[in-house]
Amino acid sequence: MPATDMTRSEGQPMREPSAWVQHWRQLCRNPLGLLGLILVVLMVGSALLANVIVPYDPAQVMVGPRLGPPTWHNLMGTDQLGRDTFSRVIMGGQVALIVALASLSAALSLGLLLGLVAGFGPRWLDNGLLLLLDSVRAFPVIIFALAVVTLLGPSLYTVVFVVAITSIPVYARVVRTQTQALRDHEYVLAERAMGASTRRILGVHIMPNVIGPLLILASMDVPLVIALEAGLSFLGMGVRPPTPSWGTILNNGYNYIQNSPWPVIAGGIPIILTTLGFTFLGEALRDIFDPKLRRDL
Amino acid sequence: MKSRKGYSLNRREFLQTSAMTTAGIMAAGMPLSQAIWAAEGSGGGVLRVRSYADINKLDPGFYQNAYNVDVMNCIYSKLIHYKPGSEWETELQAAEWIEQVDPTHIRFKLREGIMFTGGYGEMTAEDVKFSFERVIEHNSPVKDDWGPLDHVEVEDDYTGVIVLKSPFEPLWNVTLPYGVGHIVSKKAVLEATEDGGDFGMEPPSFSGPYVLDEWRPNQVVILKRNPEWTGPKPGFDEIRILPIGDPRTAETAYRSGDLDFTHISLSTLDEFKSDPPQDTVIEERPSLYYVYVGMNTENPKLQDINVRRAVQWAINVPQLLDVGYFGQAEVATGMVAPGLVGHREQALIPPEGDLEKAREYLREAGAEGISLRIDVLNESKFTAMAEMLQAQLGQIGITLEIDVQDPGSFWSIGMESEGDRWQEMELILQRFSMVPDPYYATTFFTCEQVGNWNWERFCNERFDELNAEAVTVQDEEERAEMYREMQDLLEESGAYRFLTHEGSPFVYRESVMTPATRPDGRPLFRFFDPV
Repeated sequence: MPATDMTRSEGQPMREPSAWVQHWRQLCRNPLGLLGLILVVLMVGSALLANVIVPYDPAQVMVGPRLGPPTWHNLMGTDQLGRDTFSRVIMGGQVALIVALASLSAALSLGLLLGLVAGFGPRWLDNGLLLLLDSVRAFPVIIFALAVVTLLGPSLYTVVFVVAITSIPVYARVVRTQTQALRDHEYVLAERAMGASTRRILGVHIMPNVIGPLLILASMDVPLVIALEAGLSFLGMGVRPPTPSWGTILNNGYNYIQNSPWPVIAGGIPIILTTLGFTFLGEALRDIFDPKLRRDL
Repeated sequence: MKSRKGYSLNRREFLQTSAMTTAGIMAAGMPLSQAIWAAEGSGGGVLRVRSYADINKLDPGFYQNAYNVDVMNCIYSKLIHYKPGSEWETELQAAEWIEQVDPTHIRFKLREGIMFTGGYGEMTAEDVKFSFERVIEHNSPVKDDWGPLDHVEVEDDYTGVIVLKSPFEPLWNVTLPYGVGHIVSKKAVLEATEDGGDFGMEPPSFSGPYVLDEWRPNQVVILKRNPEWTGPKPGFDEIRILPIGDPRTAETAYRSGDLDFTHISLSTLDEFKSDPPQDTVIEERPSLYYVYVGMNTENPKLQDINVRRAVQWAINVPQLLDVGYFGQAEVATGMVAPGLVGHREQALIPPEGDLEKAREYLREAGAEGISLRIDVLNESKFTAMAEMLQAQLGQIGITLEIDVQDPGSFWSIGMESEGDRWQEMELILQRFSMVPDPYYATTFFTCEQVGNWNWERFCNERFDELNAEAVTVQDEEERAEMYREMQDLLEESGAYRFLTHEGSPFVYRESVMTPATRPDGRPLFRFFDPV
């Protein structure tokens, strides 16, 4: 980071461990953060390797008895169509991850761009963008999601679209505030005096300074996004059947809970673990990377 | 399970019975009003029941849905009503007697002393005339229920004659004892609406044993005793109807004691039987609903009859029912349930279908690898069946996309009045309610109904002819044959694959009530008795 690089004193006699090693040590001292990391690695790993792990095609019906209990063939039992719940849970993780990655990266990039423009641009543009962002934020997320799903029809893309649209204002506002704080810093003024273009100032000098907190914010939003996807799917407004999603598995399980408790357990536990994992990890990262916040605490 | 007894509404028999009852009362020297009060129950208490949907229309002339009629049954009176029990019979309600003079004339006399609330006075033949004729005059969406009604002649305050243009058999099975048969106050309705049209959700006056006390949309409908009611005292002081769409939620509400009467789903029937909640009685009734897979014959992808036949033959009905109803529902042969006039012994296509034949049809149409879409209601049994259907059609190379819809959006898909979505509709998993006359099923599939309730846009001249003629035929066997042919025509069009009539299990707490239902299990709340 340019700002901190300039303050570092040269030629220190004792060489300190690198920043990454320090962060890793800090994380190791935080048991909850470490647990979070393990859970996240497990979730992401299983989602990435889903195609290798699953024993059955998650959409294939009647691979076992309907609503069967866990057996060696079907580790988490089977659902109401005799599909293997374990395969569906693993593939459901992939769906959750795709939704989280796609929607958050879309929201991040657009939010970053809009925030930079609003924070650095002329006042009328700032006001206009703020009005727009606040109007979008004013919609309750679930109500907005239900309305959009009714208009566009339920699908994976709709879920991604909804999450992206509702997350953009949050990121854009954070970036805007940061940009406004940085725009009058001396190194920016110096760069301006040297005749640098706005694009260069934003891209090379301001963006690297705002992207850190933004990434932490995004990592803490992952569980929210996963829960939203699961929630919409639970309401039958998320992914299309037979695409497996934790929300759909949970909903089906709820519908047949009188017949078998296993689908609810199989659909519910990954949502809980993933949410916990990302929350713990996010909080630990925030503590590590945001010293100001730590002092405040 | 209560046996499915043959449907027999013997008009002469019940006229005889009612005449004998009246004669008996008169012979005993008892004034009619006293005889009515003598039939009073012990009374008291609150009845807490569940309806699968919230009310959205309380004008009986424009009733639309069965769950609205459940409430209307309590707050209005009609000439005759369905007799609670396991056989399809009717008995007198507001009428002292009613008789068929000839095939097109039905003469009735009202009981004296039935009062409208709000000071609108006594129910007269003039109110009956108004209530029946406004259905035709104002072009009600359910005017077909009144078929060929010409007019009602008023003879005196209590006596009148219903005059039909042509004979109409469903009159006794559907029209009079169901929705449009309810009688409203002419004066009150004219005051409220000026032209006597649809008064929607604001009944200006009541004429039943209960009045609508409060309606909190999507929360509760509260009915209370009508203080001006002079007929037999109803069992409960108050009826609270909770709209709960999801059957699982209703089952949970019943188990936790929030409800004392609810229908349950077939998939949990076994669970209830093996582990019944305390004081609970489980009753199974054959239901009249019909569930089918429909295809939009005007959609470009489905215009070729061979594509539709391929879908028909690829569907394995027992397999679908197994996942949707846990093997508790039987395969339907058409839309007319067993026990009703016009029931078919078997469908043209065997329940299991035939994949080879399906592939052949698809090849003939040159539509291999086609992708289709099905709209289903957001309810577990339908989505489960749709997913099984997806697997079945996959076997002949058809990719099926499933669009799960919430009720608001689902029930307007094929309606031309609600937008252009009917054009894009391809397959639909449909479930319609039914009353005990085959006319009520076929009449929604005529050319005139295309874009209204006929979402498959099936239109066949012969079908329409038969549909118009069958309501006038009095010979039961001849009539049945016509309805069988109509169902054949529907099936031959390739646009329909009939699945099941479901079943109608319900549970109630015997420590609280003795319920009263139609033979198909639909509740008649005004006859529920407290224990």
